[in-house]
Amino acid sequence: MVSICFYFQVHQPFRLRKYTVFDIGNKSDYFDEQKNRQIIEKVAKKCYLPTNKILLNLIKKHKGKFKVSFSISGVALDQFQKYAPEVLHSFKELAKTGCVEFLNETYYHSLSYLFDKDEFKEQVLLHKQKIKDLFGQEASAFRNTELVYNNELANFVQAMGYKTILAEGADHVLGWRSPNFIYTPKTADKMKLMLKNYRLSDDIAFRFSNKSWSEYPLTVDRYAQWVSSTNGNGYVVNLFMDYETFGEHQWEDTGIFQFLEQLPSELLRHPDNNFVTVSEAAEKYQSVGELDIHHFMSWADIERDLSAWLGNSLQNTAATELYRIGKLAKQSGDAKLIEDWRKLTTSDHFYYMCIKWFSDGDVHKYFNPYDTPYEGFITFMNVLNDIVIRIRDAGKKKSGLESAGNLDSYVQSSPSEYAHNFISDHPSLILMDLNVNTIKINNIDPMIKKL
Amino acid sequence: MKVLMLGWELPPFFAGGVGMVCYHLTGALCQQGVDITYVMPFGPRMIRSDYMKILVADNLFPRLRFQLKEVDSLLSAYQTPEGYDEEFRKHLLELSPTERARSLYGPNVFQEAYLFARKVKLIALQEDFDVIHAHDHWTFPAAIAAKQATGKPLVVHVHITEFDKSGGTSVNQRVYDMEREGMHAADLIIVVSNLIKQRIMNNYGVPESKIRVIYNAAEPVDPTVYHDASKIKETDKIVLFVGRITLQKGPDYFVEAAKKVLELDQNVKFIMAGTGDMLPRMIERVAQLGIADKFIFPGFCSREEVAKLNKIADVFVMPSVSEPFGLVPLEAMAQETPAIISKQSGVSEVIQNVLKVDFWDVNDIANKVLAVLHYQSLHNELKQHGFVEVRSMTWDKPASQCLDVYNELLRMKKGG
Repeated sequence: MVSICFYFQVHQPFRLRKYTVFDIGNKSDYFDEQKNRQIIEKVAKKCYLPTNKILLNLIKKHKGKFKVSFSISGVALDQFQKYAPEVLHSFKELAKTGCVEFLNETYYHSLSYLFDKDEFKEQVLLHKQKIKDLFGQEASAFRNTELVYNNELANFVQAMGYKTILAEGADHVLGWRSPNFIYTPKTADKMKLMLKNYRLSDDIAFRFSNKSWSEYPLTVDRYAQWVSSTNGNGYVVNLFMDYETFGEHQWEDTGIFQFLEQLPSELLRHPDNNFVTVSEAAEKYQSVGELDIHHFMSWADIERDLSAWLGNSLQNTAATELYRIGKLAKQSGDAKLIEDWRKLTTSDHFYYMCIKWFSDGDVHKYFNPYDTPYEGFITFMNVLNDIVIRIRDAGKKKSGLESAGNLDSYVQSSPSEYAHNFISDHPSLILMDLNVNTIKINNIDPMIKKL
Repeated sequence: MKVLMLGWELPPFFAGGVGMVCYHLTGALCQQGVDITYVMPFGPRMIRSDYMKILVADNLFPRLRFQLKEVDSLLSAYQTPEGYDEEFRKHLLELSPTERARSLYGPNVFQEAYLFARKVKLIALQEDFDVIHAHDHWTFPAAIAAKQATGKPLVVHVHITEFDKSGGTSVNQRVYDMEREGMHAADLIIVVSNLIKQRIMNNYGVPESKIRVIYNAAEPVDPTVYHDASKIKETDKIVLFVGRITLQKGPDYFVEAAKKVLELDQNVKFIMAGTGDMLPRMIERVAQLGIADKFIFPGFCSREEVAKLNKIADVFVMPSVSEPFGLVPLEAMAQETPAIISKQSGVSEVIQNVLKVDFWDVNDIANKVLAVLHYQSLHNELKQHGFVEVRSMTWDKPASQCLDVYNELLRMKKGG
């Protein structure tokens, strides 16, 4: 028997607008409304709406035998609500069929686990609530941003009550083992670990329209054969991919939609095959053994590590500084400020700063709003400098109110004076004197050392 | 493969980048087994190269040389017709009446070009070669003459056009005609960037099928250059501009951006190295903006001096309005200085590890200057990756692309 488990990732970041050093202290509208709307509308039309329609028809056609799982980031859901409510509606329709499972992740699609575990927890809880509100599902399966994973993370997530977690089926951790089984993470013995079958997943996600690929053009019967041949050598084939594969990474004219439409019937022709959601697979099958994954891994690039987001000093500086001011941002009590700060934790901002041009560069350029990774860094750091000013203002306001008891004693400095002080690699240093005790940097230094 | 190459200059007898490009390109071509006879109009009587044959047209024809020698020094690739006339007039005043009469034999740069053509025609008939390769428009009449005399295929190499020099505002009709004639007479055209490709398609009516883009490589620089700027660096960071101070190079945008930078950071010095017709205006403007104490105008700098400036600068800016290629930022990067370059430049089509700006966007130029000065990790990444990138841009690549073009010319000739 072979179970097929589709999990699709849906995510769109709030991209930053061009924010120069002259905006610091003067403007706090960081996000490019127009561009974000355009992208959401474009991808909705090319991918989300048509693919959701196909999935809905397939579920109806196969009367409950076809199932899929989704993880949709909170920031993507926010943008659907804002720019394309019909997309949200179509996901709700899918939820109502009972054949679609929605997983949990960090609301802001962030790497917060690596820098600030409290923040990570808060973002997961925010997402949990959002999924419950929108789709009426209490998730018990978790997937971390970009499938970033290690033992410790599994343990942490287990403590939060999750039963299943997803990760990349990377060769360097599996060795001779197959991704088509369920495993138990070392240090989290109540969790089920499901691994991506990257060969079969990438056949669809990356190679489908590649004319120089020896298997091009890929037909449903051949693909179904590959999947079915797993029979006897595994329980479940995990096909994990970006949802944008359908219609956006692989355009409509490649035949990707027909492929998706025909694949379930072809797979179900084999009586031993069936479809499962992530949690169903975890319930149905026993773990075959423990998997010890000490170093962080992910599903990105050929390295399958963190180097796509934290591989150079630009990325490390930006991330360190961002998380360093997180607690202070939250202490400000300014909801807008906290939300702006959190939107900056979205991993895409760091992905745009990646300089590994030549092998993986083309994937990085996808939807990348910047000409170069350096531009991405400059914009991000300028914004961060402004956030620091807002934190300081909020702090002054607070302490001003508390000590002097009236607003008159609070005098604001001029914006340019601020900017002058704050344009730096370490905008947070200036905040140190404000509240030394609250600045606690999590496991960042050893991690960067490792990189 | 034997090539008759026509150039207006060659180091050390050169005025600008084209001579340098010819020098490096011919060196790399010879290493790839190409046999070059390089002909230029003027030069010392004895000129030798260990890798190619150099002919100075003037020295080969004693009678003509006698009549022309007085104007040798007036010619350079960047000479504008007006500038030439002016210098020539000054020059004549210093001569005796008889000398003056003799010198009148070549009263303007156009005539020089046509005289060169007559001599090259004679040379072409004596030399043995497969293709003709001509650099920039002053050699085009000579190239056409050589082609007509021998029937050998011709490739012209366009490093710059009249539109780039004048910023498109005052195109000299005679220069334009000379350029156009050469392009149309050529069997193939090499250009140094897509920017130039578009320009000659749009402004010279050249069909796309005739054009091949071959990017220049970087010049090898001396990494041991050292200059003590610790006195300035103690308090200030240095922002550097190097180039002719003319409309084409966008010096005015550099000054306006400097003003913006200084609004947020007073501890910055701006060095504007070079000379040109806009220099007085720039000095005036800097005084007018009240930032004269932040500016240094060292005037024309030798290559060695430029290398030193590149070494001490914290960031290099090339805000060119139109730059067919642009070798200067590569020299800065080779001295481990981050570069900010205009998107309106050929070099921006090939290099990645720089910051790119629209030349008119002074806000963005200032934004990026401040970012490089204040974000240390940005400075480091640009410095490291830029250095590696420039080091990998060697001349064997453009040379082998030139060789491909020569072979293509021969195939075309055989084919029809």
